[in-house]
Amino acid sequence: MSRDLLTDFELMILLAILRVGRDAYGVQIAKEIEATGGRRVLLGAAYAALDRLERNGLVTSTVGAPTAVRGGRAKRFFRVTARGLRAVKATQQALVALWRDVPQLNATRA
Amino acid sequence: MTHRHPPRLALALLERFLPDSEPLAGDLVEAFEERPSVVWFWVQVLVAIAAGWGARSTEIRPLHLVDLQPCDAVERTRRFSLRFPSVNLGASPVTGVGGLGLVILLSLLTWVRPTAWWLLLASALAGCALGAVMILIRTAAGPADNITTIRHG
Repeated sequence: MSRDLLTDFELMILLAILRVGRDAYGVQIAKEIEATGGRRVLLGAAYAALDRLERNGLVTSTVGAPTAVRGGRAKRFFRVTARGLRAVKATQQALVALWRDVPQLNATRA
Repeated sequence: MTHRHPPRLALALLERFLPDSEPLAGDLVEAFEERPSVVWFWVQVLVAIAAGWGARSTEIRPLHLVDLQPCDAVERTRRFSLRFPSVNLGASPVTGVGGLGLVILLSLLTWVRPTAWWLLLASALAGCALGAVMILIRTAAGPADNITTIRHG
């Protein structure tokens, strides 16, 4: 199995970053996953996954200016790298390939 | 259980155990505005600490058992020697003969000439007194004096 394939949570995070766009930071990413993916997200777990993705070169992050709403703390904005995009596509292709020709799924669909 | 402000202890623990957690702490504070639950906040913080420590335990980190640079070791040794200046009580006024040698010589002299016992006793007392005086002088001189001695030495 290729190491480029992502776990389900990593895939959700990368897709959420891509959907949110430029202003993708922790709260926005968690909200996007909860709203679209229907999965409750713990911010600490999301940051642990984001740190791992950044170490693997799949995302990059920049720290913004501190804001008063956040108690003078800065936001950390995430962007998906070209390698991260390739990993998303590779995971999608692997899942779609697995999806095909599964009798139980075809029977359900019919 | 709701509250107006996020628990400070939880934030302090987060920033203590996860040093680079400022953006995460900010996200939690921001999310707390919409979901003001202390229990929710504590769960988030504890999970963040556990997840952060779990990730750190898989990293390969140097143990720092030795100094990073040899010059650090030299500097640390120098500072240590300045803090505890050594006093050589074995020094002898006679070149080539150590303090212990003098004691042996005087002991032999006392054995050959028993009447010279007072010489051994007086030497021992004088040695003790001299040692005490040397310790007092070195202690009173302080580290600055020692730095000069080392630089010129």
